[in-house]
Amino acid sequence: MFWRGFRAMFPLYLGVVPFALAYAVTARASGLGIFETQALSVLVFAGASQFSAAPLLGAGANGLAIILTTFLLNVRHLLYGISIARVLPNMSFRQRVIGAFFLTDEAFGTFLASGVHDYRFLLGASLSLFASWNAFTLVGALASSLVPDPVALGVDLVFPLSFLAILIPILKSRVEWWVAFASSLMAFLLVPRLPSGLGILLVGILGSLLGAWLTQREPIEAPSLEGIEAPSLEDAAREVA
Amino acid sequence: MNFWLTVLGMLVVTFGSRLTGMLLTAPLPPFWTRFVRFVPIAVFTALIIPSLEGSRGEALPRVLGAVLCGFLAWRTKQLWIGLFAGMLGFWLLRAIGL
Repeated sequence: MFWRGFRAMFPLYLGVVPFALAYAVTARASGLGIFETQALSVLVFAGASQFSAAPLLGAGANGLAIILTTFLLNVRHLLYGISIARVLPNMSFRQRVIGAFFLTDEAFGTFLASGVHDYRFLLGASLSLFASWNAFTLVGALASSLVPDPVALGVDLVFPLSFLAILIPILKSRVEWWVAFASSLMAFLLVPRLPSGLGILLVGILGSLLGAWLTQREPIEAPSLEGIEAPSLEDAAREVA
Repeated sequence: MNFWLTVLGMLVVTFGSRLTGMLLTAPLPPFWTRFVRFVPIAVFTALIIPSLEGSRGEALPRVLGAVLCGFLAWRTKQLWIGLFAGMLGFWLLRAIGL
């Protein structure tokens, strides 16, 4: 089950690999050493924050501003944690701490969309991303002059496309489509006008409030997420084997 | 501020955001149970929409690639099919100068 989660992330490497390389190049060009460049990937493990922080760290900018930006870019993970804690209520304290440390957008989405309610799948997906992000941070830090610009290649598109491919199959009921539609409009209007990160958090909260409000009359369901299929018999057989 | 002190602060705010929700064990009231159900839908939509346009004036091939990706993800329910088809579509459209 761990390896199933690990393998589920392989398609995303198409975006992770060039961006880990590019992050390392940016960090090295900003004056960070190989060790410092790698330390951010190991300890902070947050792509967008690392990208925005590296030049500021290299220039010796105000640390508090960097920390605040990092907070805004990552505070949505609070919502992911709540969601995972609902799907996996029996996690031990240790599992919660370890699961939290390696939590990312990609692992969260892949885990939820898989419909596999198993901590090992989440951990496999999370460590798959951690391993590739860190391995290619190292490669980029060592060979920084050879790395092409990922934005020029267009591989930055991998991230919205993978989120889209995760999102679409979860949309089943009419309310879920309405929430996605309303969130799209809000994101279009709000995100470019607010500090990055804050807009995403705000749309996440407003969209979820809308969904909760629109489903007031629905009967209370099981804690599993609607629209996500239960693991098939085939999966169960594979687990037993 | 010292490099390592800043990194420590970054670690605290990222790990703190990730951990706070995970530690929530109390059962949620029905309204918030339904709220949580919509979190992936609302947040992922908010991540997708602003990053579709891109910064290099390639909005049209990017959006068309996304439409192809979304359509195939809907038909096949396979992440990798939608993703690879969308990327290939985008690269092809860009190559022919759209």
